[in-house]
Amino acid sequence: MQAPAAGSPVQSARLALIEPASTTAGTVIVLLQRVAARDREAFSALYAATSAKLYGIIVRIVKRREIADEILQEVYVQIWERAGQFDAAKGSPITWMVAIARNRALDEVRRKKAVSIEDTPEALDVASDEACPLDRVERSQQLLRLSQCLEALDNNRRDVVLLAYREGMSRQALGQRFSRPPATIKSWLRRSLLQLRDCLGQ
Amino acid sequence: MTERDEIDVLAGEYVLGTLDAEERAAANVRRGRDPVLNAAIEAWEHRLAPLAQTVPSVTPPEKVRLMLEEALVKIPAAQAGASVVALQRRAQGWRRVALAASALAACLLVAIVVGERRRSEPAGSYVAVFQKDDASPAFLLTVDLDKRQLSVQRVAAEPQSAKSYQLWIASKKIGDAPRSLGLIEAKDASTQRTLATYDRATVEEATFGISLEPAGGSPTGRPTGPALHAKLIKTPR
Repeated sequence: MQAPAAGSPVQSARLALIEPASTTAGTVIVLLQRVAARDREAFSALYAATSAKLYGIIVRIVKRREIADEILQEVYVQIWERAGQFDAAKGSPITWMVAIARNRALDEVRRKKAVSIEDTPEALDVASDEACPLDRVERSQQLLRLSQCLEALDNNRRDVVLLAYREGMSRQALGQRFSRPPATIKSWLRRSLLQLRDCLGQ
Repeated sequence: MTERDEIDVLAGEYVLGTLDAEERAAANVRRGRDPVLNAAIEAWEHRLAPLAQTVPSVTPPEKVRLMLEEALVKIPAAQAGASVVALQRRAQGWRRVALAASALAACLLVAIVVGERRRSEPAGSYVAVFQKDDASPAFLLTVDLDKRQLSVQRVAAEPQSAKSYQLWIASKKIGDAPRSLGLIEAKDASTQRTLATYDRATVEEATFGISLEPAGGSPTGRPTGPALHAKLIKTPR
């Protein structure tokens, strides 16, 4: 996966695969099944294997560590409670857990006044674990596929998708970022989503 | 756009997170009863999932794991299923206070979950779970909001010699102080109370509490022991 076209105004939207795509999808499924049976040791193992992933996603969206801490805890309580509802036939366990984490984080930031990074300079005072990302790159077929479809979008329309998904930016925030009214952002998102859906052929 | 396009755009914006607060809340409700929308949301979660691989991991602080360990102990066993899931979520703010106060609360029953509608129950039916701070539910409280009828089932709570369990209701709408709903008789598996003197909205938002009091009930008309209830009432969530 390469970064989007040089000169893209949104540096943070670069796509770089910084972790193995499916370190332990099979392991995680087994752990979830044991968690569904109330196995505390399995839960500890699941937390050890996945919490950094989910925390990274949550911190990106909510920006504030103390809020991210609370949300992470709530997310794992939900995982503990709902593990029996995970259906391996419908998708990967990580996707399922990521959806829980993102939904909870997005509920939080949409419910409250959006946090502006300018207001909270400490917000991004978060050291990530990516010591040497390139060493850890492992190609993911799904990411390659999605990347190709994203590349086919106009720059701005690709960037709104990435900034929304990864940073949790609202239409208003995206409007400010791109100096466009929110209605325009909504229209970009709409076209991007339909084009992505058709490109991915799912 | 076709109808399918409309649903896919809504679902896509839901997953991206770009719906505003009201649209998002509406989608959260709708997906619960609209399998087409729910499937469209899951499809987008799947399509966009590879992007999650591009977000750097961040190791969470150790305290989160420790709090989680404590929190899990308080979660009742699986039998209550989905309704308890919802309850636990609502109870988070509560639990944080409860954890902070757990030393104080040594012999008091802590915990309690503010009532939340159970999905599988008729509208108007609420449930709250009272836990001891060490294990499974001590009491299960259900409220029929339409009839304003309350029922408390004793689950794992042990009768205490020379002590009584006392039930309280608290709400900003009826002042800051918890009001007694009477004693829970140790010999009865189930205790019924009417809440007819409280209006529906008050009951809906109320916090219920159970305290361990001297035999015959609190001598002061307020929960004695740690001031857990008063603090908990003010914990918004």
